[in-house]
Amino acid sequence: MVVTIIYLAIIVFLLFFIIWNMFTEKDIMLQIDAALVIIPLVLRLLLIK
Amino acid sequence: MDQELIILLVMLGTFLLANFLLHLPVSLGMALGAIMGALVFGLFFGGDISELGRHLFEGPFAYLDTVLIIATAMVFMTAISKSGTMAALNNVIVTRFYKVPVIMLILLMIIVMFPGMITGSSTAGVLSAGAIVAPILILMGVPKEKTGAVIAIGAILGMAAPPVNVPALLIAGGVDMPYSGFEAPLFFITLICGIIAVLMICLRYCRHIRIEDLSSGLDPEISRRHGFKIYLPIIVLAVLLIACRVFPNALPNIGMPLTFLIAAAVACFTGEKFNFINATKESLRTTVPVLGKLMGVGMFIQILTLTGARGWIVGSCIEMSAIEGIGMVLLFIAIAVACPAFGAVSSYGSASVLGVPFLLILIDHFPNGQVVMAAALSCIVCVGDLMPPTALAGNYAAALVEEKYSKVLRHCAVPALITIVLSLIVIIFSETVFSFL
Repeated sequence: MVVTIIYLAIIVFLLFFIIWNMFTEKDIMLQIDAALVIIPLVLRLLLIK
Repeated sequence: MDQELIILLVMLGTFLLANFLLHLPVSLGMALGAIMGALVFGLFFGGDISELGRHLFEGPFAYLDTVLIIATAMVFMTAISKSGTMAALNNVIVTRFYKVPVIMLILLMIIVMFPGMITGSSTAGVLSAGAIVAPILILMGVPKEKTGAVIAIGAILGMAAPPVNVPALLIAGGVDMPYSGFEAPLFFITLICGIIAVLMICLRYCRHIRIEDLSSGLDPEISRRHGFKIYLPIIVLAVLLIACRVFPNALPNIGMPLTFLIAAAVACFTGEKFNFINATKESLRTTVPVLGKLMGVGMFIQILTLTGARGWIVGSCIEMSAIEGIGMVLLFIAIAVACPAFGAVSSYGSASVLGVPFLLILIDHFPNGQVVMAAALSCIVCVGDLMPPTALAGNYAAALVEEKYSKVLRHCAVPALITIVLSLIVIIFSETVFSFL
């Protein structure tokens, strides 16, 4: 249970920076890359998958 | 024509079109290929269209753990680069061993390989350790294009070396084999090839080095300022990684992502001061394209599997290997050519699309050498990371030494060939000579 919470916290940590990267990145292709990564991380954070 | 072959051609065609003609990134090209394959399957071959969206989202989940490992490992690598640990290591190796160039070059090669070993990403090797080692090699008199080649080869061998070898993870996952026992065969192949590569390319330029000539590329003060504690992040990482395996009852396995973050946190207090938030931003900015590629590969593989195209590839390979007399020769030629060549698309894709079927056939012929064969196969797949146009490691290495990639690639050819040949030898003798691995 503790490890699960820590790993959810790690996902929040990474998500924050990847979302930050998506909004600050100027190249649209890199923004799409970031969006592709964000989708499964958000789904895991919400424990949907 | 088989429906699976049609779908495979549509997917590959879409990917190649997106990548080469439209110049879209590999991740987006693979995602588009997967979407087209899913649409063709749903519209023309009776696939359940309502389920296709779910499959497209489900594919990337196979790589979620890998994403966490690569992302946190990059945070760790950036942290130890900023804190000066890598520079200190570099300094120690050169100043202690410059009179014994063979040992110095081997240790420098291990430094180039280290980030790839930890992160499973060749890009990490080039961008972190490569950026530190390349100027030293150039100062020693190694030509720029050869320096680029050593960095590129070191990075891909680091990617193949344990503990994290993503293609091996993908191949093992594809045949339901636990990722365990891969360390010895991977170390065996990657270390031998790394040593041969660096000595073959650099030794002739490093026979008579004067330490004064290298001083501009070294930072001797950093070790003096921080002493032994500058190496603590690497020691903490090694202890945590090893201890939970050696004492599984005393120490729970906290997983690699958490281990990397703990070691990265240690780096904040043991060397040069740096802003951890900015370092994390910087590392993830570099990593997101690699992670995006994994997501694209996940979608691509999921649709290949769903539509039966992956099974079709397996069936074709089995038929080919069954040809009497020359079947196995054809199989080994196919492994040696197709696996690296598919790296032009993606080495991760190569591991999933070709590595898994090839391993299934090899297991049929050499049933007792599964882990050794999977490890050797993953090394051949990793060579694909040198294949243009994608060639992330190669292109970054060429940019690092300010040379064209075509010039760098020329010097990578022989070491890459040696890696492929040694891996094939290990596969062929996996049940006999190399069963000790």
